[in-house]
Amino acid sequence: MNTKQQNDVETIDMATDIAVIGGGYVGLKAASQISENGYNVILAPHNDTDVNFSRLNVPSTEIDRLKALEKEVADNTNVEILPASTLVEATGVPGNFTLKFLSADTVVEKKAGAVVVASDTAVNPLNHIYGLNPAANVVSLSELENLLASEETKKEIQTGEKTVAFLVGFAHEGSPVLMKRILNSVSEIVGLDGCSAYVYVNNIKVADDGLERLYKQCRDNGAIYFKLEKAPTVKQENESLTVSFHDPVIRKDIELNPDIIVYEESLTADEANLCLAETLRIDLGPMGFLQKENVHRLPVSSNREGIFVVGSARDVQSLSKSFADVDNMVLRVKQLIGDGTKSIPAKAVVDREKCTICLTCYRCCPHGAISWDDKAIISSVACQGCGICASECPMDAIQLVDFTDDEMADRIKEAAAVTAANTPKIVAFCCQNSAYEAGLAAKAFNYELPAGLQLIKVPCAGKIDIHYILDALVEGADGVLVLACHHGNCKSESGNTYAQWRINDAYRKLAQVGIEKDRLEFATLASNMASGFARIVIDMEKRIGQKKD
Amino acid sequence: MEPKNVMIIGGGIAGMTAAWELAEAGLNVDLVEKSGFLGGHAIQYTCKATSECLQCGACSVEKMLKDVVGNNKINVHLSTEIESIEKNNGYSIKLNKTAAFIDAQKCTNCGICYDKLKENNVILQGYSKNNMPLYAVNACKIDENKIALKDVCPEGAISVSDKASSEDLTADAVVVATGFTPFDPNRKSVYGYDKFPNVISGLDLERIKRQNGFLARPSDGAPAQKIAFIQCVGSRDENLGNLWCSQVCCPYALRTAESLKHKNPDLDITVFYMDIQNTGKSFPAFYETCKNDIRFIRSIPVDIFPIENGNLNMRLFDEAQGTPIMEPFDLVVLSIGIMPNSENEKLSAQMDIALDEDGFFKNSDDLNKTSTSNDGMFIAGTAQGPKNIAASMAHAGQAASGVLKYLGVTK
Repeated sequence: MNTKQQNDVETIDMATDIAVIGGGYVGLKAASQISENGYNVILAPHNDTDVNFSRLNVPSTEIDRLKALEKEVADNTNVEILPASTLVEATGVPGNFTLKFLSADTVVEKKAGAVVVASDTAVNPLNHIYGLNPAANVVSLSELENLLASEETKKEIQTGEKTVAFLVGFAHEGSPVLMKRILNSVSEIVGLDGCSAYVYVNNIKVADDGLERLYKQCRDNGAIYFKLEKAPTVKQENESLTVSFHDPVIRKDIELNPDIIVYEESLTADEANLCLAETLRIDLGPMGFLQKENVHRLPVSSNREGIFVVGSARDVQSLSKSFADVDNMVLRVKQLIGDGTKSIPAKAVVDREKCTICLTCYRCCPHGAISWDDKAIISSVACQGCGICASECPMDAIQLVDFTDDEMADRIKEAAAVTAANTPKIVAFCCQNSAYEAGLAAKAFNYELPAGLQLIKVPCAGKIDIHYILDALVEGADGVLVLACHHGNCKSESGNTYAQWRINDAYRKLAQVGIEKDRLEFATLASNMASGFARIVIDMEKRIGQKKD
Repeated sequence: MEPKNVMIIGGGIAGMTAAWELAEAGLNVDLVEKSGFLGGHAIQYTCKATSECLQCGACSVEKMLKDVVGNNKINVHLSTEIESIEKNNGYSIKLNKTAAFIDAQKCTNCGICYDKLKENNVILQGYSKNNMPLYAVNACKIDENKIALKDVCPEGAISVSDKASSEDLTADAVVVATGFTPFDPNRKSVYGYDKFPNVISGLDLERIKRQNGFLARPSDGAPAQKIAFIQCVGSRDENLGNLWCSQVCCPYALRTAESLKHKNPDLDITVFYMDIQNTGKSFPAFYETCKNDIRFIRSIPVDIFPIENGNLNMRLFDEAQGTPIMEPFDLVVLSIGIMPNSENEKLSAQMDIALDEDGFFKNSDDLNKTSTSNDGMFIAGTAQGPKNIAASMAHAGQAASGVLKYLGVTK
């Protein structure tokens, strides 16, 4: 079927309300920035969080600005706030999401063009790792920050000429965000006359602006650091505290009796992320944060168009980096929603005669682009054109506009027909995001390539049908290469995995008809691997060439 | 309304990202790059994948470069520097283009000029096929090679004139994305970078990997077997007054080591460090893998001596013994840090925006590190301070967002 005629440009009305989930400062900033760009905002804070400014690493001069931001959003008539709300259902496609929130015990339904997730991090005290019980002289970092924030308790520390021991980086790796808070507290302690600070630390995480300088300042002001590979032994008997360890520098066992022990905390992903990922059908990444670390996407984008993740929703981040996320998200929202109408050509079309709504496509689409009425429907806005659905559809009911099966069949026939004297014919199916680029680069840099090599561009390795592979061999190719992105580097998340499965299937089929396994090879590449590409194709040429001799 | 014009100074990953974002938003962009190639330092890095992607981001630079050269709203000025910039109801800029350059319209990327003139670095080769043209004339070598340059190209694509040419531009806003200068390893003379061929920098390692497809020792071209990475070369160095962490070198060394080890599990790799910095949100799991594959020694080596066969003896502090010991390696990689661009003082005076105490461009707002004291000017990427590729892109996006806000471009 030639689907080119159906390739009409569709004009779509995009809802210009944007939903922001999470009401911390990053959520507020998102609401403010989106509204400033002319869109209405539905702000859905989880609950009223108790804000601790020192936890945000914000200089005191900035606190007033954050308070002003709260007021600005509260007063903004273009921002509708759904207090204490939880997202319970999300359907639809970018430009037209339907969201149901449970807000103050009632279900509220909202339309939104895009969704921004700005969940917070959770704070976990880690005293149990050190066998410590919280007490007046055994406090978490947050508690110390509170003590230092109040003039009264700060004075108590000072007049008591307290020795404060910090335990850092043994219970978990930590981050520059936490390290900045620790160093700020250390700095305050050593700034109090008569007080001293001992910091027991594993890796000092100084990979952010100003931290190395702050670390040095603390040292210059008398803070003492013991850099240890293993946590010191800590004893808490009534009010007496003992910290003992082996000092690797002077190579001696040392014992100290601090007045106060400050144990570390971890910042972990919001537990709500799990439900949000499921409801919004976006990927959960490492450590419970939203979004996989896929370098093919801009930092705030998720696997679904129109759903963005900012700030602590995607990683432990400082407030300034989270605000940078917000600005980047606004760029993406403007690019997607524009002024509310979008003209977009379809990338994939469903043959409604063939579709039996088995929903294989719905399940395999990594971008949540497929819905259905009496047949499957592919959203032009959400579709990224990878073609996984087209290859997985058992009825062959889906065609990619730029890579129809007919065109692919012609291309395979053409490629397998090209002959070069006395050299094997190799057909390489190349993902356009990686191997195809690498192949063109290998040519541009004049790498030695097999004379009988033909590249066939595919939108994603997930589009490579088992038929393509078998057809290429039937049409006369001596070898077939399937070249995909590295695991974790597929723009469509799972296209390379589908390709690998199909290759394994193809191996079984080839074995049945007695074709050698090494005529078919699967390999992964990145777009900048010109020499890697050359090596793979040359290796195959040598291997098959020897067979031919 | 007429689309606004923005000038971006610097064509590295930050400058390219800002240019692309602004072009996507409908603005006209002039992207000015001093060297003959877009991509800056970021395009020079090779893929670090093992059996899986390690998120180094090098391929995202490749993609951004492709998008930038394919965008007709971005006017790229290669081999061009800023002569002067004046603020008057927008900005009036004078550009200075080198006396010899390759005309992208005529160049077929055949590589003949490079083959003939690469010996003395007269013609340089780009890092990506998306560097268009793929070759550039080395500005430092023009004067003594004018005659050779005139006739080398069969297409007549190399233009040689007696003088640099100038061009006038106007812009409504400016993005400063002038990047960084890598630390000069010769300043740490104890490591003998200029004396021992098998002491290389991370950037050298990238070049060697790209040229050979594997890590060949400069002295004899043999594959390196026992490799040391020395971290914090130039960064976190009180004696040098460099009180900052370069933020990229730990991820760089760890990913490189893992990637080398994946190709050759027999390699013996040691990382000498002060504190290991995180690589990303999967760091805890990744670090555990690294600890299994790599030997970590928490001490920065004292110095390096040559021994037979180009090998190197390293003097380091043995914690168990409490004494210095010598250990041989056949290749030493210096993880050189991110320093402020060596031209920052000149650029700062030219553009009337301040530098911070470390010599990077100073942001005027701690909650928006792209802001400057000069209203229509924004900083992007490592010009503001050390950043990895992803962070540079995010920072550049924020700068683009700032430009749009400044120019009143909403939906």
